[in-house]
Amino acid sequence: MTRTMTIALFLLLALATPLSAQEETPETLPMDVPVMVEEALAAGIDHEYTGPWEYFVGGGASAFDCNGDRLPDLAIAGGTSPAALYVNGSDIGGELRFEEKPDALPAAARDKVTGFYALDIDNDGYRDLVTLRVGENAILKGGPDCSFTEANRAFAFDGGRAWSTAFAAMFEPGNTYPTLAFGNYVDRSAPGSPWGTCHDNAFIRPLEEKDTPDYSEPTALSPGYCALSMIFTDWNHSGEPDLRIANDRQYYREGQEQLWRIQTGRPPRPYRRNDGWQRLQIWGMGIAEADLNADGYPEYALTSMGDTMLQTLDDEAEPDRPVYRDIAFDNNATAHRPYTGDDLKPSTGWHAEFQDFNNDGRLDLYIAKGNVQQMQDFASYDPDNLLLGKAGGGFLESGDRAGIALPRRGRGAAIADFNMDGMLDLAVVNREAPVSLFRNTGGSNNGSKTRPMGNWLEIELQQKGINRNAVGATVTVKSGNETRTRKVQVGGGHASGSSGFIHVGTGVAERAQIRIQWPDGEWSAPFRVFANNFVVIRRDATQAQYWYPPVD
Amino acid sequence: MNGKPVFPIPPTQRCLTAAALSLAVVLSAAAASAADSVPWAEKAIQKHVDFTELEGTLSAERLKALIAEGEHLFTARFTSQDGLGRPEATQAIIPTKRRRPSDVAFRRTAGMDGNNCQSCHNVPVVGGAADFTANAFISEGFESTEFDSLDPQFSNERGSVSLFGAGLVDLLGREMTKELRAERDKAVAAARRSGAPQTVALSTKGVDFGSLTVQPDGRVDFSDLDGIDSDLTIRPFSQKGVFASLRQFVVNAGNIHLGLQASERYGKRWTGTADFDGDDHADELSPGDVSAVVAFQASLPAPGRLVPDDPAWKTAAAHGEEGFGNLGCTACHKPFLPLDSLNFVDPAPYDTAGTLRTGEVEKPAVYDLGLLEWAKTLPRNDRGQILVPLFGDLKRHRIADAEVSHLGNELLAQRFVERDVFITAELWGAGSTAPYGHRNDLTTLDEIIRAHGGAARASRDAYVDCAEEDRSALIAFLKTLVIPQ
Repeated sequence: MTRTMTIALFLLLALATPLSAQEETPETLPMDVPVMVEEALAAGIDHEYTGPWEYFVGGGASAFDCNGDRLPDLAIAGGTSPAALYVNGSDIGGELRFEEKPDALPAAARDKVTGFYALDIDNDGYRDLVTLRVGENAILKGGPDCSFTEANRAFAFDGGRAWSTAFAAMFEPGNTYPTLAFGNYVDRSAPGSPWGTCHDNAFIRPLEEKDTPDYSEPTALSPGYCALSMIFTDWNHSGEPDLRIANDRQYYREGQEQLWRIQTGRPPRPYRRNDGWQRLQIWGMGIAEADLNADGYPEYALTSMGDTMLQTLDDEAEPDRPVYRDIAFDNNATAHRPYTGDDLKPSTGWHAEFQDFNNDGRLDLYIAKGNVQQMQDFASYDPDNLLLGKAGGGFLESGDRAGIALPRRGRGAAIADFNMDGMLDLAVVNREAPVSLFRNTGGSNNGSKTRPMGNWLEIELQQKGINRNAVGATVTVKSGNETRTRKVQVGGGHASGSSGFIHVGTGVAERAQIRIQWPDGEWSAPFRVFANNFVVIRRDATQAQYWYPPVD
Repeated sequence: MNGKPVFPIPPTQRCLTAAALSLAVVLSAAAASAADSVPWAEKAIQKHVDFTELEGTLSAERLKALIAEGEHLFTARFTSQDGLGRPEATQAIIPTKRRRPSDVAFRRTAGMDGNNCQSCHNVPVVGGAADFTANAFISEGFESTEFDSLDPQFSNERGSVSLFGAGLVDLLGREMTKELRAERDKAVAAARRSGAPQTVALSTKGVDFGSLTVQPDGRVDFSDLDGIDSDLTIRPFSQKGVFASLRQFVVNAGNIHLGLQASERYGKRWTGTADFDGDDHADELSPGDVSAVVAFQASLPAPGRLVPDDPAWKTAAAHGEEGFGNLGCTACHKPFLPLDSLNFVDPAPYDTAGTLRTGEVEKPAVYDLGLLEWAKTLPRNDRGQILVPLFGDLKRHRIADAEVSHLGNELLAQRFVERDVFITAELWGAGSTAPYGHRNDLTTLDEIIRAHGGAARASRDAYVDCAEEDRSALIAFLKTLVIPQ
């Protein structure tokens, strides 16, 4: 009987082991892993984000076209090193190439920069650069050929003296110019600093009836809890975005994550416990937003030390009650410690962004990782994450296989298609280490050689008059039964705000119907396009256009 | 475990514990699959075609073997043991799960509607067209995936197209796509250089496709294109001309009609599972299987011309061919399109993700159609180009109007193409493939000609106004366009 009993036991054990929700990464991943080749130096970018304590945080980059050729250029913060603007001269479909334009940024806006956000504030068709600094923030008005002039005075904008680390903007209904929100960190001059001395944040609506932007009347968003990321977000599908703020618990007292209710013509007010807003205390470093389950309501990834949060609306939520629950564990997205190497201490997460890196039609999650400085209780080798979205939901880690698991302290990042080949590339700003510039060269599946991945679309929106780049628009891309959604937003991430073509992977779908909900709520007619194209959609046009990059 | 073999269990130790029972079940299943390799096994695919052997230009011998493997698959009667059926997947060409598993395996309307290829491609011989009895009901498979009605609200009813000469059609399409895209790219570069918008008329192999307007910054306005998709890919397959290559079509049709899912689109790489249709069979069609079926279809000879023995017929046919030109039929039914090369590269160059692409294989296979006997007899012009006698133009046209509306019967558009727009039907082989029309519901050539509305209206009216004997002569000519048997 012994042998039979052994067999019985073996079978019972084999059948009885439950599948754990937090799965181990399998030997081979079913989907394409993007092969990311690091080539910053060869591409002409030799740049570091440096500095003492004030520059433990921040370190942002913005990818946006400033010379009108539609190739995304790069503005990169430097901290105590000079910030720089790099003009994109990459080979189309080939190697990345950038050239620094030395005097692009005005001198006063080159030092002590923590981050950049690109948006067209004055509706002149050139993206402007909001420059976050330890000290006076600067609005740089963009002009032709990547020229920038300081516009604080012209826009009646008082850049203040705070240590600024976050930014978000939106065009409120009826306004000609955008509303700006600045997130500030520790008030170094307050007694007892840095403990419990977070600065107030600033909320600035443009004055009405003016020919140029007038930001002379800011409102303080008080209390501030050391913001490191902010985003205007339509969390309740109401058409009226509110302002979400990620705060760093390291220095606040009695603080928490915040959601401020923004109503036209009224001062912002925070959602409180009796509105259903639960107190969440994390080392909030970055916010990423996407509608992962296609229910019309966004999910949020919140980076922190230790677990990344992945928040979705709870069943108890209502249109005016933002109740969230965390689904990071169920989706294998906690990214709580290094996924490779010997360091088992908790991670420190910074920039986060949902994008489709392997063009399989499912959103992936990129997280920049790196120790604050030399915190003993946290991982020192802390590689960036590339969590690839799975069929049916959830994520699988691929950072090591993708080639982005460098021993650098990642902070902000810019994700854009730099060489216009339909595949998203990645620029990472690292603290006291070179900027990493990864070119996406294609996919490896089951150990195959690098080869073409899924189909894709890159979409550019144009409006005339106000809000030329349609900030606040929703882009829906329908292929078969699947609708993929993107929002055009200025904000989020870690000190990094890019603006340009909106990338959507479509997997094996060869065509799509694109519909735009413009910022004022109006829906466009459907535009029928074939995949693997750059699509330009102008408001009120009956047909989309394709754009073709220059070929030598 | 003690290391001794577990199977077979000696009778003295047999005992009815649950463990032993389950073990026995596992073992009997193993025994059953061992039995599949017997000669009387009820499956068509005994062994998948080895894709790794298909590299570079295939020798005549290797090509012949591959074609034979393809013919076997094309004529095989697949069974559930091959993975026939798609209980959890719809007919859609993007992998799409059904809401509920299907209650029946076969469904005449929404599919699966067959167990082999030849049951719909057999007139006059295997690889040909079909009778009305074999019509398929085409729906995109996104909404209304399960329909029992033949009502055109739910599907487009279609007759099968003959595959003879399909390899040449595929090749023509590729060369034309290449040329059109080159014209576009040239205009884009010129607009950039000059700083001024450019309008370029698109034309290839004597067929016009409308025009593009290009802005100096690289934006292209495609609203003046005619008869082609906005990405300038010629898609010559299916009645409406919406599929680019034989390979794409095989992958589509395998799923729609047979529920046999090709791993290159329905496999783990794209769907996360090797058994997307939920019938307990993984990777039902391998890339090699698809290549074999593509090679078989590409090898089907171009239809030719019957030289009638009857002198009256011969004279009438000659007169009718002249009339074919005079009536303007040749504007769309072009007697020849020139082809530069007979090298059929598989995978094809213009497919998108979801069909195997040239860039995804180390060394694409090349089927040199020139190695085939029938290809050697194709006429050539003085530039050495092969003159493909297809009587078509690989372009889409509107074929119905308010008065002549028989061919405007469909209610559903297909893949961005309006309901009354179809690709010019190649007339080679028309004499062998009655009945006619996309619904296969017109039994005579005379009737299908009279049904030409829309863009063909003028020629059709001229035909109708002809004398009886001239019309008869035209039919005499068309009846000489036959599929070799």
